[in-house]
Amino acid sequence: MYKTKIRGVLIKGNKSYRQITDDIIRPIEGKTPRWWYIAMTISTLALAMGIWAIYITISQGIGRWGLNNSVAWGWGIINFVWWIGIGHAGTAFSIFLLILRQKWRTSINRAAEAMTVFAVICAGVFPLLHMGRVWLAFFIFPYPNTRGPLWVNFNSPLFWDVVAISTYLMASATFWYIGMIPDFATIRDKTKSRIKKALYGFFSLGWIGNARSWLRFETTALILGGLTAPLVIAVHSIVSMDFATSVMAGWHTTVFPPYFVIGAIFSGFAMVLTLMIIVRRIYKFQDYVTDSHLNAIAKILVFISLIMGTAYSTEIFIAWYSGSEGEIYTFFHNRITGSHTKAFWTMVSCNAIIPQLFWFKKIRSSIAMVFIISIIINIGMWFERYVIIVTSLTKDYMPSNWATYKPTIVEVGTYLGTIGIFCLGVLLFLRYIPMMAMSELKAINKETS
Amino acid sequence: MEKKYSFSKSFKIVCIALMAIGVISIAIGFISSPEKAWADLLLNNYYFLSLAIGASFFMALQYITQSGWSAAFKRISESFIPYIPVAAIIMFVLLFGTKSLYHWTHHEIIATDPILAHKEPYLNLPFFIIRMIFYFAVWIVLTQLLLKYSKKEDLEGGMTYFKKSEFVSKVYIFSLALTFSLASFDWIMSLEPHWYSTIFSLKNFIAAFFHGAAIITLIIIILHSYGYFPFITNAHWADLSKYIFILSIVWGYFWFAEYLLIWYANIPEETIYFVKRLAFPWKILFYGNIAINWLVPFVVLLSNYFARRKSILAFVIVFLIIGQWIDLYLQIMPGAVGKFKIGITDIGTFLGFTGLFIYLIASSLSKRDLTPKNHPYLEESLHHSMH
Repeated sequence: MYKTKIRGVLIKGNKSYRQITDDIIRPIEGKTPRWWYIAMTISTLALAMGIWAIYITISQGIGRWGLNNSVAWGWGIINFVWWIGIGHAGTAFSIFLLILRQKWRTSINRAAEAMTVFAVICAGVFPLLHMGRVWLAFFIFPYPNTRGPLWVNFNSPLFWDVVAISTYLMASATFWYIGMIPDFATIRDKTKSRIKKALYGFFSLGWIGNARSWLRFETTALILGGLTAPLVIAVHSIVSMDFATSVMAGWHTTVFPPYFVIGAIFSGFAMVLTLMIIVRRIYKFQDYVTDSHLNAIAKILVFISLIMGTAYSTEIFIAWYSGSEGEIYTFFHNRITGSHTKAFWTMVSCNAIIPQLFWFKKIRSSIAMVFIISIIINIGMWFERYVIIVTSLTKDYMPSNWATYKPTIVEVGTYLGTIGIFCLGVLLFLRYIPMMAMSELKAINKETS
Repeated sequence: MEKKYSFSKSFKIVCIALMAIGVISIAIGFISSPEKAWADLLLNNYYFLSLAIGASFFMALQYITQSGWSAAFKRISESFIPYIPVAAIIMFVLLFGTKSLYHWTHHEIIATDPILAHKEPYLNLPFFIIRMIFYFAVWIVLTQLLLKYSKKEDLEGGMTYFKKSEFVSKVYIFSLALTFSLASFDWIMSLEPHWYSTIFSLKNFIAAFFHGAAIITLIIIILHSYGYFPFITNAHWADLSKYIFILSIVWGYFWFAEYLLIWYANIPEETIYFVKRLAFPWKILFYGNIAINWLVPFVVLLSNYFARRKSILAFVIVFLIIGQWIDLYLQIMPGAVGKFKIGITDIGTFLGFTGLFIYLIASSLSKRDLTPKNHPYLEESLHHSMH
């Protein structure tokens, strides 16, 4: 097939196939670097904090959180939505870019998928704890039970959440794992350590790389991909419906499903960017994750940021246009002005204004700037969920219900704990799993688009 | 490859005949029921404008994503652009009908309606006109710039004009987000000025993109069956049909998001919109809308075998032509007219606009070579294959 040369090569350095294998396996085969131990220690400490917070929550109850009758959702749900958002990165990279035939995705998709799996696990912690009695969490599954006519409420978006997210976790974990099989086999064949040979041999499921295996492998990947793509849209649409099906001012708006999905992809891409900039620096992977990769992600981010800005302004405009007092109060007196101004304007500037800097090529090609903005976006996305949840709940329709909300150390601890889980996961991934799909890299070696 | 499309005399006559039918239908409409005639004019003008906006967005999107496969079909998207100034003229003619179309233009109604009084700073005629001028100015300037660069690229080649087009495309997409959103709020949503929905503009934008892409495909199919675009392979058909397939899913998703959330929350101010549309006989169109715009393309194009047959693709697109009309009919008529009546004048007006639209497209296509010259991705497009 003819390819124009304009776009530039995907893998720099004119590599041979052997070189690709050696480069990607190096972090796994080499000695464990010191920074890895330091990072592991910090992550474990964060996790320990989380375990303490979870212990307090389970043993003493949700009362240790800063919630009250009016603000019944706080950091727990904010962080849940935030993590789920980040968990959209993998699918967005693997599936959407695959459909759009963006081959540069190849050196990033494995890491993005790994992030998806860990982020979704982190997200799951919050609703589980939020139920109050974790040991009865299985009540949420609709199985024939002995509790009499008690069933889960099939009309509730909260139940849809359980279904969508658990399906999503399984599907993306399967997709991730299946993609790794040929690479595990490569390590099995290359490694000198007998333990590694046995372990990677086990996980490679006896892969021998014959034509029939490849055919089935690719067909399976395609089918799974096709099934996961609608799933990822469904997951965040349903998360948005936790809010939008209600009659709360600031929550009930029809644009929520696509707006949440786009926001999720936004934070997912930003997180991938943050991670890849660190990884390529540490492992010297500049030939695989080239500047044009970062440039492409930055371009996508500026486009999504534009959509976010449009969604914010549409929401504000329609709040005014609707003439509904509740909506007008929420947006104009409790977000744009009022006691939550800081959170609101942080959200707007981090998500809709600062990423617009990516319009300038100079900013896009400065790694430091790209790195900073990618973090700013995730801060902004956290504040978006804060604005939605806290502003609407603190001041609802009845002033006698109005309350304030401040998170307690237990909530903050749980959040830190999930960050610990995520970092631990990513660190283990970087150390023990080939972080780029070698077989796919070889397929696009020397290609230009 | 040097083939130019020739706009034959007989085809010209057909177009003009269609336009004549349109003029007569509009005239009959104005005599029998002016209220309906204004609404019909709005519907049809918005219909074809949305196709033009959709097609120009399609083109802009190909630029910013550096898509190679579609480069050879650039002329088709370009040929939709001449309709935008025409739509502007018709929209200005429609200003004479605002009293009939929009309740918020009546001062006596505003005086007794506190909600409309609240909206008056936005929904008032002078500001409405200023906004309209702004939208059209932005669209016309940017799309004409794209055309200009495309012409220069044909003559001079090189990457300069491609880079410029890419930049204008970015600005165009950026400005469409604002202008097209507000335009659909202004022209369509304010027909029922009490009702509001945030996804409304987005849904209409996707509908424009969806149907614009479908009509582009239809034109390619027709030209191909007359022997133009000889290089087309299965890969091209597959990609074109993928666009239609995915956009049908997105359209269905937006439709469902709006409907489900309004149904679920059941707030009277919002629900009333669907209550009207779910009463007989509107109901037929209501279900027809989702069936034609989502179910038909989804089910048919799901199969790879069907998606690459141009006759089947054309069959689906014919459905979509009706689909967009039904969608807009449902959005406009209950608010603007209130009575359900699809008559000869509706069809006649649609035919008239179709004639005008085809005439503009055909004459635009006949002016330059069908495949662009010097487009950097042209070779990639000509040798596009599945992989």
